[in-house]
Amino acid sequence: MIGKRLPWEPFLTLLIGLALGLLYAWVISPVAVVDAVPSALRADFKDQYRAVIAAAYAANNDLRRAQSRIALLGDMDSYAALSAQAQRTLSNGDALQSYQLAQLASALQGNAPTIPFSPTSPAEEALTPTASTPVLINPGETAFPIDTDIPLPYFTTTPRATRTPILLPGAPFKLLEQETVCDESLMEGLLQVFAITSNNRRQIPGIELILSWAGGEEHFFTGFKPELGNGYADAHMSPGVTYTLRAADGGAFISELTPPTCQKENGETYFGGLKITLQRP
Amino acid sequence: MLPVACPGIFNSHDLWQNTFMKHWLWIFLSIATGIGFGLLYGWVIAPVDFVDLTPDTLRADYRADYILMVAEAYQSENNLDLAARRLAIFGSDPPAEIAHQALQFGTSTGFSPSELNNLEVLIQALRTWQPSSGVMP
Repeated sequence: MIGKRLPWEPFLTLLIGLALGLLYAWVISPVAVVDAVPSALRADFKDQYRAVIAAAYAANNDLRRAQSRIALLGDMDSYAALSAQAQRTLSNGDALQSYQLAQLASALQGNAPTIPFSPTSPAEEALTPTASTPVLINPGETAFPIDTDIPLPYFTTTPRATRTPILLPGAPFKLLEQETVCDESLMEGLLQVFAITSNNRRQIPGIELILSWAGGEEHFFTGFKPELGNGYADAHMSPGVTYTLRAADGGAFISELTPPTCQKENGETYFGGLKITLQRP
Repeated sequence: MLPVACPGIFNSHDLWQNTFMKHWLWIFLSIATGIGFGLLYGWVIAPVDFVDLTPDTLRADYRADYILMVAEAYQSENNLDLAARRLAIFGSDPPAEIAHQALQFGTSTGFSPSELNNLEVLIQALRTWQPSSGVMP
């Protein structure tokens, strides 16, 4: 009896062919990287891209455009990414860039959820140049092939929004609230500071605060503990020492700060803390 | 009368040739099919996944938009060193040349006049710019 021979040759040659094909496709001639999207950039280049978006936003104050640009980076949470980068930048000593990033983060947060990108809104259509004006593109056509779901930066012939002055770092803060905090769970002598805006009480990250006392001073910043609030900052006060607090960019000058004496339920005393809220008008 | 060849020998030779050719044909077809599947899988189904790319691979519109942002920022910051440093991520070409490429793209794809103006202002400034020591990479 003649046994049926396994047809191994076709399989073997098929596998050899498959291996050759993959070698060519993955090693010899892989898919060429052209026309990359910003979300595929290396992390440090993404940071650079994000910083430039923030700088452009600081210049043109066009939030919608900044939103569409920041969406290109594909961050899971744009606000968190901007805030974290603002803090990193601040710790590296670039106060201006940190401020720009923090401003954009705040603006995005204030406008959440993100407005979906639409290339032509009715208002823009109304401003679309007529035949008598030089038409640079056909508004009905895209200037480049769209092969992605990611919203593209829009190039329209609509006039730019009028530049409106934005709040500068020097806008003076005012003291809104000062409270004594008697909480045994908190560190003794804890000074908690919140920096907020007046219109919608949004917290402001990246504010430099100066706590001074006889013989010294300490600089600290809001936003370094985002889990407690983007406008939150804290410092430690020693009992028996009198401090003054002010923002580095001017405004309120809060003096005579010292840890208050609090009492536990069993009658023991301990040093509490202070909670100060600064408001930018 | 036709010559009578040895039919057994002739048949076995033909059979041998047929079998030999068939065998190699099958091998060739199998390899070709394998290569086809390999290319399909490697190029279409699971192409090499590129991450951590450098800015010089950016699509032309994204590249131009980045440069436009630099130009917009320059309008308010007026810091040419910073603008040049921001443009340097595209490589070692002169910053003015990099910005000029964006201007060409913007002109052909319909940037607004103010955007084109921003780019022109930046290009003009960069043409006369001399890098400060330690600013450029």
